[in-house]
Amino acid sequence: MLNRRGFLKIGGATAFAALFGGCERLPKTLVPFVIPPENYALGESLWYASVCRQCPAGCGIVVRNSEGRAKKIEGNPLHPVNRGKLCARGQAGLQALYHPERLGKPLKLDGPRGSGKFREIPWEEALRLLMTGLSSVRAEAPTALLMLTDPMRGHRNLVSARFMKAFGSPHRVAWDPFGQDAHLSANEAVYGVRDLPEHDLAGTRYLLSFSGDFLETGVSPVHFGHAYGRMRAARPTVRGKFVHFGPRLSMTAASADAFLPVAPGTEGYAALGIAHVMVREKLTPAAAAAGRLWNAGLKEFTPEAAGKKTGAPAADIEAVAREFGSNQPGLAMAGDAAASCTNGVFNLSAVGLLNLLAGNVGKPGGISFPDRLAAFASFGAEAKLLLPAAESGYPALRDAVERMGKGAFRMALLSGATNPAFTLPPSLKFEEALLKVPTIVSFASFLDETTSLSDLVLPTPTYLEEWGDDIAPAGHGGEAITLGQPVVAPFRDTRSMPDVLIAAAKELGGPAAAALPWGSFRECLDKAYAGMGIDLEESHKNGGIFSGKADAPRRAPKEGSPALPKAAEAAFAGDPARYPLVLHVYPSSALSDGRGANLPWLQELPDPIATAVWRNWVEVGPKTAAALGLSDGDGVTVSSPFGSLQAFVFLHPAIAEGVAAMPLGQGHSRYGKYAADRGGNPYALLPASVESATKAPARHSTRVSLVKTRMKGALVRTVHPEGQWLYENIL
Amino acid sequence: MKRRWAMVIDMDLCTGCGACVAACVAENNTPTVGESEAGKGRLMQWIRVVRYFRKEEHDETRAIFVATPCMHCEKAPCEIVCPVYATYHDEDDHVNAMVYNRCIGTRYCGNNCPYSVRVFNWWDYKREKPLDEQLNPDLTVRSRGVMEKCSYCIQRIRRGKETALSEGRPIRDGEVLPACAQTCPPGAIRFGDLDDPESAVSRMMKDPRRFRLMEHLGTEPSTVYLKKMRAPGR
Repeated sequence: MLNRRGFLKIGGATAFAALFGGCERLPKTLVPFVIPPENYALGESLWYASVCRQCPAGCGIVVRNSEGRAKKIEGNPLHPVNRGKLCARGQAGLQALYHPERLGKPLKLDGPRGSGKFREIPWEEALRLLMTGLSSVRAEAPTALLMLTDPMRGHRNLVSARFMKAFGSPHRVAWDPFGQDAHLSANEAVYGVRDLPEHDLAGTRYLLSFSGDFLETGVSPVHFGHAYGRMRAARPTVRGKFVHFGPRLSMTAASADAFLPVAPGTEGYAALGIAHVMVREKLTPAAAAAGRLWNAGLKEFTPEAAGKKTGAPAADIEAVAREFGSNQPGLAMAGDAAASCTNGVFNLSAVGLLNLLAGNVGKPGGISFPDRLAAFASFGAEAKLLLPAAESGYPALRDAVERMGKGAFRMALLSGATNPAFTLPPSLKFEEALLKVPTIVSFASFLDETTSLSDLVLPTPTYLEEWGDDIAPAGHGGEAITLGQPVVAPFRDTRSMPDVLIAAAKELGGPAAAALPWGSFRECLDKAYAGMGIDLEESHKNGGIFSGKADAPRRAPKEGSPALPKAAEAAFAGDPARYPLVLHVYPSSALSDGRGANLPWLQELPDPIATAVWRNWVEVGPKTAAALGLSDGDGVTVSSPFGSLQAFVFLHPAIAEGVAAMPLGQGHSRYGKYAADRGGNPYALLPASVESATKAPARHSTRVSLVKTRMKGALVRTVHPEGQWLYENIL
Repeated sequence: MKRRWAMVIDMDLCTGCGACVAACVAENNTPTVGESEAGKGRLMQWIRVVRYFRKEEHDETRAIFVATPCMHCEKAPCEIVCPVYATYHDEDDHVNAMVYNRCIGTRYCGNNCPYSVRVFNWWDYKREKPLDEQLNPDLTVRSRGVMEKCSYCIQRIRRGKETALSEGRPIRDGEVLPACAQTCPPGAIRFGDLDDPESAVSRMMKDPRRFRLMEHLGTEPSTVYLKKMRAPGR
């Protein structure tokens, strides 16, 4: 046995590795001391606070910098959104920074357009090409410039908006496949506020979720993960109860006390069934409103009717309604699967109605609508550019695709992680249309399906190497402005998009130069925040400006007079005889909408439910599988009227029958070697249909068939499907 | 400064998100092995989130997540079978530690571990440049033929001890956190010193929900679990 001294000596060997961390030799060739000299100690590190941009939640991070290299990302404990916590995707940001396939030099097309063949060119030449293009478009037809990005926030967005405005083109499109259009519209209809609310999950006693996979994906998974822990355990005598309705037992649903499977797109009917019982049994403080709702038609939506529609037992709906009505404050939340049906706004409005009936708007443990931009009053109309509505941008994007096809654009500027060539339904023919734009310039760190169509690719720094600011869309009541700073010196020869736009505006002169009057993006940020009377040095140390006091929550104007949402059925494309199953797609908890697929850590992170790695799969329930003659691990061809792909079957014991579910994110064709050959792309199965009220993409709107197919290999899972790991065996 | 480090995992809070796995991989220089090696059961992650499906009342299937790091058993089955004392019990910290350059790769320890938490370097897993720039300088990169496993982030324990020593004070509760506990969004993983009666883990040890994995084997794990709860009614 070793004593403490001996142990420290062995540890000292690792410090030796630390001292020579910058050497070319791999540490494995180093023979560690068993007994190192006394004076070896662990190396000191520096920690820099910044903002995570692996998903749109906007968590605060602190990054460990050791000898000029970023070593580890942690959550920023001061940040109100994530409170020192971080998810797997946030942890994996380091691999994006040090990715072998990161672009380090500008690329110029070196082959046929769309071939993805490039050669490296120096920055001077790249900027000259960009300026030649911009100047000629500017001189001849400024409206022929298109800017297609992912949703940006903070001053990045302000710079882009000002650039396009001064340039003279209105065609600025931000595409987010998981935009919150239906939430915004439903909130406007129910509460009279077109904004994302604050859900006080930590303070609630009863949480009703309708396909809300808020713990794994969605608006702010780490915020909700932390709040969920507090809801369960932070109060000495209350353990908040959690009931989940949804088509499949997702990771979030697995945390619920009760999971009630419902048919896809019927979440709204389940909510109305609950509302019916609450009003019938006088379990609501809003008696007058309840009476009006009852007469407006709520009396038709009995739990029995809801049970028939959804497939959940009427007795359960009734029991849940009684519990929800009598355990207040409660909270009703809905998620992506309820929102992205053709009847998304109905589903979400019906869920919103439950919060109104329970009287939880603007109360602790309920929902509220804070003004998250209160600190930016001096910005005037430009303030909302810092936190634009979290919309999908789908109508504008479809319009842009149509214009591209007609040759209306002469130049396109692309940027962002949402990768439209991968995430749009193939029937839109985005790729074909984009290639009709004569000049395509991308700002990117990686080549993906979209950027590889470009004529010119300008390499950008990752979020760990650039300046920035952010206002999170949820998780704070207006008390948080996050500041980003480079945590390491730029690792490649890159320039950030706002920097390039500012330089381009200067060269264009005239109104563009006047609109972007800074020397660099950093100067833009510094001036903006210095103007607000903030100690920048201190704020960068903290990772942002956290006043600690949230504004008084805005009450909802329509609170007193709720209207009954107009019931609407979800529509599914495809003949039920030919395509017997409804397709449910969900963003992968590791790969998100597909942006994480090039990071080996995320590829090798087992899925929470299927426990599969490196590949996608299709989930069906045991009865459905038996009817189709399928068993676990079989290869199948999944066909919708719009496309088909092959995948392995995962028998999911808790999924609504008649449903086939697939995670999104895999199936890349041009996103580097780690993402290649990982199964088909489920986005390619989807129709171009839209949610009927908002025209946002309706992902849950097609049927599919599964046909057994011989496939090579197998689905790799960490938990054996035969159940060698019995829970009883570990007790 | 003797310590009895212990981990308490509250299964009622664990959502199964896998943040702990990614954090551990980032902290401990764990290689990725690729699909075909993973198919042979050779994933190198030091903590795994095992998902169990269980039929419960109302004939409902529930998924239960059991985050499984090394149990750091007081009576560790892995230690007694190592012919070269590569895995040993650290008396100061009460952790089950490894000396990598003693390991000769018999894999007896992995074979004797009832929790299957030990992983073996079947190959020299290459990190393509510049992914190796991320490697944590506080600990080594293990080479082929060496067994490895969760160390309770021993490098962080050491750093915590050094800091406390240089400031002339005892280690505070919650000051030393393994990567998994630090990142866990719902706070399901707690870590601390059982010899300190005031520490969070000492208090959690009194919870009636407490159990240890395969307690009947008598391995006396330092990693303790709190059972998942389920609210009554619908």
